[in-house]
Amino acid sequence: MIIMASALPTFTKIGKVIRLNRHGCTNRPFYHIVVQKTKDNQDGPVIEQVGSFDAMPNNKNEKLVALNFERIQYWLSQGAKLSDPVAQLLGLSGFLPNHPRTIIQAWKNRREPPRERKIEAIKGIAPPLDNPKL
Amino acid sequence: MFENGHTQRIDVPRCHVNIAFNGSDKTRIIYMTVAISSKHFIMFGSSGSRVLNVINISYIQSRSKRVWVRKPLGSPMAKSKIFRITPKPVLPEDEKAEIKRLFDNYKNSMKSIRHYFFEQSLKQAESGEVAQMKHRLEDQEHERLMEENRLENEKTAMLREERLKIQAEKTQQNVLASLIKKEGEAKLHEIQIEDFLTKQMSTPFIQAENIEKAIEDALANPVNFNFALDLNGYVYRGKDTSIDTIPEEKRERLNSN
Repeated sequence: MIIMASALPTFTKIGKVIRLNRHGCTNRPFYHIVVQKTKDNQDGPVIEQVGSFDAMPNNKNEKLVALNFERIQYWLSQGAKLSDPVAQLLGLSGFLPNHPRTIIQAWKNRREPPRERKIEAIKGIAPPLDNPKL
Repeated sequence: MFENGHTQRIDVPRCHVNIAFNGSDKTRIIYMTVAISSKHFIMFGSSGSRVLNVINISYIQSRSKRVWVRKPLGSPMAKSKIFRITPKPVLPEDEKAEIKRLFDNYKNSMKSIRHYFFEQSLKQAESGEVAQMKHRLEDQEHERLMEENRLENEKTAMLREERLKIQAEKTQQNVLASLIKKEGEAKLHEIQIEDFLTKQMSTPFIQAENIEKAIEDALANPVNFNFALDLNGYVYRGKDTSIDTIPEEKRERLNSN
């Protein structure tokens, strides 16, 4: 009988990670900040949801982020890793020190304007949106 | 809609899902196989198929897109990419140094923060109600076991006492018996020595006074140890005796004593 490599049980410890899970619809991402096992897919089973992050700014030009600091602290104490975006968000919120990427992005933005994009980025405080359908 | 017996193949990352539709009732699903998050590998569902080593599979129907992992290994490079030379992003040295410094500091702080959180969690665990109750229960258990142990020890001690007493008695008796035996043997030995000595004394030793007489006697009576044996078992003593000189009746028979 041929036994496939994937048929043998592995006993290595699979680490846990706090990262963003993309939900929402096409062209409208909404992220859940979630504790998962590293090997699971992004849309796979989730151990615990620990926050959310809305990437699309709202009427008042705010990107809303929700974070459950107590649970994040617990999972960090249990050895969970952080993905870069989550680490950046936690740095901006003040829970952790600022991630180097935020600082690097900030000085790059100051140095030169970002490249041409099809959707224009909102700078400063945007005026309220006019589209009545939204 | 799907035709009779049509099999819809939906590729899910690391797992194949086969959904077969019945003939008449087009929407009825005959068999559906497993999706994701299997700790073990692909399982092909349906009654006849074999399932190997399936543990901890969650039966979630997945509808997500097929994820592109990588280009197949044997396939050639795309024509638009053959002569492409990607421009290497050049950073000035001071910027690199700054980036490195930032990351080093960040990693350092993150390490210490993680360690701190871990310590905090340990402290919380120790001080929590569950932990306290656990400690109390453990102490009770410990006391109970110690008590049990003590009783057991006492029991065995009693038994040991008796056993030792009996053994002591036995050994005492043994020792007495052996002493008596030894005394008897010593006496016997003495008697034997006495006998031996008397025997030795009684043998005719040649003393200083008797020496001359003994020499004269020896010279006067020489002893001839020579002898010959016959095949029939007769002895002929003396060096120069021949068989003919001695008549048949006077022959000696060799008797080994």
